[in-house]
Amino acid sequence: MASQLPQERLPEYEGNMGTILSSPAGAVPDLVTQPHHPFEHTEPQPCQAPAADHDADDMDPDERAYHEHFMREAIKMASSSPRPQAELALKSDETPVGCVFVRNGEVFGRGMNETNRTLNGTRHAEFVALAGILSKHPISDLKETDLYVTVEPCVMCASMLRQYAIRAVYFGCWNERFGGTGGVLNIHSDPSVDRPYPVTGGIFREEAIMLLRKFYVQENEKAPEPKQKKTRELKTEILPMDIHAPKSTPTPPVGASTLRA
Amino acid sequence: MAADTVATAQLVPLRTKDEVRASLETHTVYIVEIPARFANAVKDAIQDAAPDFKAAEISHLRRVVQFKYLPAHLQKQFYPPARLQRGICSDGHDEPSPASLFTPLPPSDDESCTKAEDTVRFFLLCPTRCFKPAELVAILRKNPPFSVINIYPKLLYVTVPALAPTSAEQANQWSEQYWPIAYKNTNPYGPHPSLVARNTVEIEPESSTWLALASTAAAEITQLGVGEKVGCVVVDRTRGTSEVIAVAGDCRWRSPLGDAEAHTGPGNVMAHCVQRAIAMVAKKRLRMAGSNPALLDRSLFCDVPLTEAEKAPYDKDNISASGYLCVDLDIYLTHEPCVMCSMAILHSRFKRCIFSTRMPLTGGMTADTAGNATNPGKGLQHGIFWRPTELNWKFLAWECPSNAKSDASIADTVHV
Repeated sequence: MASQLPQERLPEYEGNMGTILSSPAGAVPDLVTQPHHPFEHTEPQPCQAPAADHDADDMDPDERAYHEHFMREAIKMASSSPRPQAELALKSDETPVGCVFVRNGEVFGRGMNETNRTLNGTRHAEFVALAGILSKHPISDLKETDLYVTVEPCVMCASMLRQYAIRAVYFGCWNERFGGTGGVLNIHSDPSVDRPYPVTGGIFREEAIMLLRKFYVQENEKAPEPKQKKTRELKTEILPMDIHAPKSTPTPPVGASTLRA
Repeated sequence: MAADTVATAQLVPLRTKDEVRASLETHTVYIVEIPARFANAVKDAIQDAAPDFKAAEISHLRRVVQFKYLPAHLQKQFYPPARLQRGICSDGHDEPSPASLFTPLPPSDDESCTKAEDTVRFFLLCPTRCFKPAELVAILRKNPPFSVINIYPKLLYVTVPALAPTSAEQANQWSEQYWPIAYKNTNPYGPHPSLVARNTVEIEPESSTWLALASTAAAEITQLGVGEKVGCVVVDRTRGTSEVIAVAGDCRWRSPLGDAEAHTGPGNVMAHCVQRAIAMVAKKRLRMAGSNPALLDRSLFCDVPLTEAEKAPYDKDNISASGYLCVDLDIYLTHEPCVMCSMAILHSRFKRCIFSTRMPLTGGMTADTAGNATNPGKGLQHGIFWRPTELNWKFLAWECPSNAKSDASIADTVHV
């Protein structure tokens, strides 16, 4: 289905994406129909099909293990760990969002949120990682690169990734405040002059949510009018379709959304 | 370019995503003719039969309308209006013929039509999705006046705007085009008209100055060969007079080493002028706070001033260290920012955004499909500046078509 989208349609994708994306429940992840991916990255895939919007729970075990390996690396960037950078994250009071870019089966660059230390609301983990990567590598390498990020890319990052022609995006939990790949808007697939990219959400979703919740029960001293948070409690239960479920289409298949223990 | 040599810019407020939707969306409603005094009874009957139907949904439409206040096309369509014969309802005829109950007015008898006590009103029942016609007829027949006079209600169908008007002009236009409108002098789908008007008056006189400065920044960066000919200016108007906080041109064709690069591919997307300007604001705040502005600096962000236009405001200590992001600041751009930069402006909590030229294929601010000279009828329709139920900040936005460039120095496919 989606893989039939001809390359000749470039650079404008208008119309067709809607039908593809509106039925994610029945969509078989492209990875399943392309057995060489994700374990062999030998050939560039300039027009990987925008089957898009898979739920991590639809993956087969091998595929899932591959993606979970890299999502674990992204979580390390966001959470406390022996890494000096992550220690810095705790000390500097940064919103715990981390990411890794993966090329040829290897981590190609890492980033974590730096918005508070830089006083710059655009210094998201994806920007930080790409600033490192692109200082050493050509932009064209990103066409064979996948992003793993603990929280769904925001509208800004989703657009940046599309302009850079990222190959695919994998994320942990949805971002219902400003998510750009299904949480609020669908910047990865909406009509644009740039090629769309496929996204898969829900890899270690519960862990990503807990990272954020642990952070948000703390005081944010940098906010203009600090709100009373002392009475806040850390919730630990996470329902299958909890706060970070996508607001707009597509909706992950309900039947497949069983929780991992 | 001196400020006083620039002609005054004409600012046009952008329409929000919901305003665009409100201006386009219509649906069909049921209308029935009833005696005026039964309006409340019919209204209650409908509400009882459809508890989920919210009357607020049609509160922008007049519920009970006299024939003479219908728009011309409906007067023509429904002519002649019926009227009840006096006393019919209380007399309780067993099998009155419809013709004797609702009798068409003689064509010349318009005066009696409006004055007769029992003249019918056109009553707006509900949107057609609430009931099938047969269901609705059955409900009406169980209730007065139809239960009393035992007449078969005749359903009429009218197309109406689904959402409330956002201005008095629109309300008047719709009253003529669709159905009489009740305008409440509010705008549920965007900033209140008076708020927009106040802000327009405040910034319009000096807009041309800042848009010209943005063009200067664009021209200077182009001379260095490191960017597209686009630029922006960040202005602080909170203290009565305007302070230029930051000026930035585009640096997408600047290599990590600072050289001009070949113009292939997207270039350094992170060095769009908006990204650079926001970073300069942040660095000024760090400097004012006594921190090292080079903290976590990366050459790819290109947030060091490069041209004369960029350097002067960057070096000026005219921003508070304690301010939060770009709260209360305005941003002026030569072109509509791309989706990424539109969202960067939102993330940074800007107060107002003003740009000269629309970018219908790549811009993230506009919500309609007005397009531009080379791409009429196009637009991504994201309307990022005002989507308060979906995104966590909103601000006012204008375009300045009188300032728009049609010299095609920037291709429509470029992300500004």
